[in-house]
Amino acid sequence: MKRKSIAIIMAAVLVMSLFVGCGKAKTENSKENSAAGTEAGKTAEEGKTSGEAKTITVWAWDDKFNVAVMKEAAEVYAESNPDANVKIDVVSLSKEDVYVKLQTALAGGGSGIPDIVLLEDYVSGKYLNTFPGDFVDLTDKFDYSQFLPFKVNAVTQNGKVYAVPFDTGATALYYRIDLIEKAGYTEEDMQNLTWDEFIEIGKDVTEKTGVQMIVEIANNKTTLIRSMMQSCGLWYYDMDGNINIKNNEALKAAFETILKMKQAGILFEAESTEGRAGALNSGTVASVVNAPWFISSLRQAEDQKGQWRAARIPRLSQVSSSINASNVGGSSWYVLEKSKVKDDAIAFMQGVWQGNTDFYDTILLNQGAMGSYIPGYATDAYKAEDEFFGGQKLNGLFTEVLPEVIPVNYGGYVAEANDAITTALSNLFEGKTDVNGALEQAEEQLANQLGR
Amino acid sequence: MKRKAGPNYNWYGWIFISTAFLLYLIFTIYPAGASLMLAFQGMDGGKYVFTGLNNFKRMLGDTIFLQSLKNTFFYLIIQVPVMLVMALSIATLLNSKVLKWKGFFRTSIFLPCVTSLVAYSILFKMMFSMDGIVNQILIHFGILDAPYQYLQNSGWARAVIIIAMLWRWTGYNVIFYLSALQNIPKETFEAAKVDGANAFYVFFKVTIPQLKPIILLTTIMSTNGTLQLFDETMNITQGGPANSTMTVSHYIYNQSFVYAPNFGYASAISYVVVFIMIILAIIQFGVAGKDN
Repeated sequence: MKRKSIAIIMAAVLVMSLFVGCGKAKTENSKENSAAGTEAGKTAEEGKTSGEAKTITVWAWDDKFNVAVMKEAAEVYAESNPDANVKIDVVSLSKEDVYVKLQTALAGGGSGIPDIVLLEDYVSGKYLNTFPGDFVDLTDKFDYSQFLPFKVNAVTQNGKVYAVPFDTGATALYYRIDLIEKAGYTEEDMQNLTWDEFIEIGKDVTEKTGVQMIVEIANNKTTLIRSMMQSCGLWYYDMDGNINIKNNEALKAAFETILKMKQAGILFEAESTEGRAGALNSGTVASVVNAPWFISSLRQAEDQKGQWRAARIPRLSQVSSSINASNVGGSSWYVLEKSKVKDDAIAFMQGVWQGNTDFYDTILLNQGAMGSYIPGYATDAYKAEDEFFGGQKLNGLFTEVLPEVIPVNYGGYVAEANDAITTALSNLFEGKTDVNGALEQAEEQLANQLGR
Repeated sequence: MKRKAGPNYNWYGWIFISTAFLLYLIFTIYPAGASLMLAFQGMDGGKYVFTGLNNFKRMLGDTIFLQSLKNTFFYLIIQVPVMLVMALSIATLLNSKVLKWKGFFRTSIFLPCVTSLVAYSILFKMMFSMDGIVNQILIHFGILDAPYQYLQNSGWARAVIIIAMLWRWTGYNVIFYLSALQNIPKETFEAAKVDGANAFYVFFKVTIPQLKPIILLTTIMSTNGTLQLFDETMNITQGGPANSTMTVSHYIYNQSFVYAPNFGYASAISYVVVFIMIILAIIQFGVAGKDN
């Protein structure tokens, strides 16, 4: 009898612990989702007194950059709208986590989503296609004529604008002036080049200094390819979203150019992003084409202070539409339709990201973030001289380049296209095929991936 | 007493396992069933719709999938036998009566198994990088003139992955063999020696047959492990160059989280892997004989 009761108690404890475990998980869950509109979150929210602040949750991925910028925005908003009664909670995740968590949350019906999320423009189409109706149409909420046209175009689908444009990947050619001068060239010679002229200079630099002219990542050469392609106003896809690789004259010229660089021995193929930064910091390479955020990697080499310069990127002489301006990457802020505090989130974005040039100055000075808001470019902050670049007005260069960047349709499948191009380039570099063959291969692989 | 408590204890038994079973049901059975359903569905305007065998048809024409399947089998055919032979040899050495410092060697051999998959992958990537230790040693001894980019050559990239896996997993299998070797009754060895068998003969005719069940176990485990290979290729080569090191698991990940999400297609590929594993296990059981 005694044994029996002990057994029953133990079994009861075991079963209880199971429910306790579940209950705990549920409360934690509802806390996480309180802003996301789950039933649990709703009841919890209703229980609150009206005086309590609503929380707007923001997901971003770089503590020193976009997370810090959004925290700055929260402060600005709190100061200028003291009666808004919202608390902005900026959550810092890794970029992969932002994507994977958002994707699983949306696929699972929308529990656990943030209210505002940062997405790269390259994945914009993918999310808008895969989750139609999950992102708020902001077309009437902002005056989009005040933002860079190519940025607005990147977050537009079927005539509706779905995001507040944030930073850009305006490309520049960063180069070591001391090495260029050693090879007998001047700063003047590096302006408005064509890629063919650049290769000729590169040959001299490599010959006279023993340093390779330009760096690209071996397993993923698409930064150069993408910047060359958009400088012509062309992309992997045409404006209607059809694959445009085999007959893409910009891509063909880009492939030829990069192959020429390799054959001339001026291309340093780094093994990883760290390897690329390392090669530049150690002085093994004389130049790189990349976006504004790459400058912080260059600054790591303090002994190279004053030896760097930035110029407009070279253009492709083979393509008539090619200009000395392009873009690689950039990101924008999205508001989620299933957010419980959707209207507050929109009001917050309007209050800070539109019309407030002081805010844009602050984030440029503190985080080095260059927004896409054109009136912001007129301020003095953009005329600052940069000692690392020998006193050059670096931000001024970007404000010149940005309005020229030609809008293209990134489409919903950039990662797929990048992989197809990377594979084709590997085969081209290993001598398994020629330029036309590589392009055909890439088009075939991409069409296969997209089931077309 | 037994009769009195019987039916009640039976009932308690169910209560006791209910916790574990419920968790198993929620976190294993349900997802497995749900993903099987998903394998027959495709994305249409943000919603999953039933598409029949479309996902499986697509696989037949998907060059990257076929390439990744080929790569996975390449790893399987080269790496698993080499690793198991190495593990068996090391285990036999460690089991030898004349060996001193046994504890030290055993620990050293097993140590790689406690390292994290990501950490050791990154370590191997560093070792085989341009300025890595492998290039430095080869240049120091005059074998190479300039650093070689191992991870940019499809053949070498595969070799690096196999070398990394051998380092990480051989010790794990050694432990299995070692414990099996110690469980073999000593009388059988003595009897063989009395009958005049040499060491070679004893190993192949006495040791190996008695290790058969454990050899079968390690083969199946290693086969499953290789078919699920992900961390190594993801961290060492990202599947490159030209998809030559891409594994099926890596491709499933790409289809789910890198490319436009297609969980239906990814589930379908997962089930093809499950199917292949079952077939391989059946073949292995058949080869090893039914008595085991």
